[in-house]
This record gives sequence, C-alpha cells and structure tokens, in this order.
Amino acid sequence: MDVEKENPFRGRETVIEIDEDKLIPCPVCDAVNIDKGKKNSCRRCGCAMYHHRSFSTEKSWAYLLTAIIAYIPANLYPMLITSAFGTKEESTILGGVVLLWELGSYPVAVIIFLASIMIPVMKFLILIYLLISVKYPIGKDKKANKHKLYYLTEVVGPWSMIDIFVVAILAALIHLSSIEILAGTAATAFAISVFFTLLAAHAFDETLIKENK
Amino acid sequence: MKLENEDALDNFIICHKCYTLNEEHPIKDGSSARCSECGNVLYQYDSRLITNALALSIAGLIFFILANVFPLVQMDILGSEQFITIPKTIFSLLDSGFYLVGLLCAFLVFIFPLMIFVINIILFTLLTIKRGEKLTKELLILLSHVTPWSMADIFFISILVAIVKLVAFGQIHIGISFWALMAFVVIDVYITKSIRLSEIWMLRKKILLEGERQ
Repeated sequence: MDVEKENPFRGRETVIEIDEDKLIPCPVCDAVNIDKGKKNSCRRCGCAMYHHRSFSTEKSWAYLLTAIIAYIPANLYPMLITSAFGTKEESTILGGVVLLWELGSYPVAVIIFLASIMIPVMKFLILIYLLISVKYPIGKDKKANKHKLYYLTEVVGPWSMIDIFVVAILAALIHLSSIEILAGTAATAFAISVFFTLLAAHAFDETLIKENK
Repeated sequence: MKLENEDALDNFIICHKCYTLNEEHPIKDGSSARCSECGNVLYQYDSRLITNALALSIAGLIFFILANVFPLVQMDILGSEQFITIPKTIFSLLDSGFYLVGLLCAFLVFIFPLMIFVINIILFTLLTIKRGEKLTKELLILLSHVTPWSMADIFFISILVAIVKLVAFGQIHIGISFWALMAFVVIDVYITKSIRLSEIWMLRKKILLEGERQ
C-alpha cells in the first residue's frame, strides 16, 4: 500500500514490514496500532490495550453471568406497584407489557417488549455466542458477521434502560395519598442486569474474533 | 505491507462496524469517507468543525441547564397538580430507597451528559487557541470512556413512553424543560454520533504539527 505521503518523521527510522492482520485499533482513541503481544500500549493516547490476554474472555463471562443471574429476579418480582384507593396492583415486566397490549396502547407495549425483553435476551445470546466462538471453532467462515453482531450489541444495548427510566418518571410523578405508583424490587435487579450486560460488552476483546480465523 | 515508521499508521483507519482496514485519503470539505467493505461512515471532513462544535457545546450546556431547572411534565390528577424535574425524578428514587437505581440514573442522565458537554467546551476552546497539548489528550481519553454511558436520548424517549402511559390518569401538561431537553438531545446526538473522536485526534495532531513548524 502507498504511504508515501507528507510525513514529518520520514527518514528517521528504517522501513517496517508488517502483516495487515497484526494491526489493531486502540479501544480508546481508535488509532491503528501494531499488535506487539502482551504489553501493548497505544502510540497515540498511551492507554493500555488488551492487557488481559491471559484471561481474555473470563472477565466478559463474569459480567455476563452476573447480568443473566440478575435478569431472573428482574422478571419474577414486580417492576411497578400501583396502589389506587386502597387496592394494590403489582405488575412484572412481562405482565406490564400484556396489560398495555390489552389496554390498546400497542406502540408502547411493543417498545417496552423490545427494550426489556427482546434486547436483553438477544444481547445475552449474542455475547454467549461470541465468547464461545472465539475460543472454540464454530462459525469460522463468518468473520465479518461477528464484528457486525458485536457492533449491534454495542448500539442497541443501552436502550434496555427505557423501562427503568419510565418507572422512575412514573414513580416521581404520581405519589398522592390516594393514588401512588412505586418502583418494585425488579427495578433494582433489572438495572443491575443492564449495567452488567453493558460492562460485559465493553470487556469483550474484539481482536479475538480476528485471531481465531 | 510496508511502513516508513509507526506514525504512518495514522494514514489508516479500522472500520468500527466490520473491522476492515481502510486507507485514509484527503477528502473534499463537507464530504465523508465510507468503509470499502460495509459502507459505514469512517470520517468526515469539515473545515469549521472546531468552531461549530464549540458553539453547539455551549448551546447544549445552556439547554441542559434549562432542562434541569424547569418542570418536565406537569399533571392534574384528582384536583392536585404534580410536576417533575430531572433532579426530582432522581431524588424521588433515592427517597423511596432505590439507592442503586437512583445512583445509576443520576450518572446516566445527569452527571455523564453534563460531563460530556463541559469536557467538549474545554476541549474545543483549547483546540481553537491551540494550547494545552497534555490536557487535550487527557480530555479526549476521558471523553471516550464517558460517551458510551451517556443516556440523555434514551431518557427522552422514556418520557414520551411515560406520557403515553399516563394519559389515562389525568390531564398532562408538557413543561418548558421538555422542549429544552429535546433541543439538548438533538445537539447531544449530533455531537456524540456525528463527530467521531478519531477526527478530533487527527485535528489535534494537525494543530500540534503546525505549532511545531512555526
């Protein structure tokens, strides 16, 4: 490839020959770097890059398992407690979606279903697939697709927070003596689950996809 | 592949979406370069990027302050008026014992968005006056850690969802903050999504090299 452009440092060092596969982007500043093995640090921002090669996927696995465990109580306990004139009504995430659907607010029901059920479950499955596939040879031929899958989880991941924010807004707005909306235990569990899924996605080392070609 | 030295790697860029190595070429003002493999935008060139971004950051900060001071949504329910502001929403979570959720929300919808705009203002001011080589580097690193955790846009969509859910309960009035937050979110999405950090790193390098020559 042609790199004979204006370069202020030209001539000071000898020509380096490098394999294209050895080039990795810095996770912090996106600068292209040469993979030098275990003690990498970015040439532009100086940040440590992929230092945890010896336990490359374990960190991500740990976060992911925490998220999956927290997702169980998030679905079992009530998310929203509505108490109106003495009667208390508790609804779980799925129950809330069903209730909204029955009341006829289809768009909102779909949004909540996508954000609180589809996206988290999809993220779990994609991350599990990615984490397994970088260690064991499955889906070898689809290298580009795996990067796109990872990109997808990064982009849609934060949107699962919608339900938490909605519950926070409802609880803050409606607290009269006769009508009151309260957040339930599931809110904490779900927030933890989303938080750890985001951490798991961030901890995933994208260069591993390349290495196991 | 042969390289003169490591700095020649600045002429390359790896696509975020599909991880393909692309070579950077100078492009026309106002146009953008796309990945050769998947067509994802890699970088854009805008000669007035710094001034525009600085102006937008200041505007965004003003809207953010407005969005936090005035009521977001007001509601007439059973004859009494209830309203919420962004800080009130967070404090009400903390008051009802949801410390973890409250803290998380405080960071995601208040502290991180605020941080991004304050960092941007300092960063673009420093780049305009061509000063602070070390500080700009630290700020850019900090910015890349904070940006994925800012969720003002998601919070805004949540407000819309909450309003639809509340229609059955009573009369809803949309407050000043709602519009301010909408303006803030538009600016926030523009700044964090369309101005790539790698573009700012390249600009910083260019400014530093110009400074060395003089």
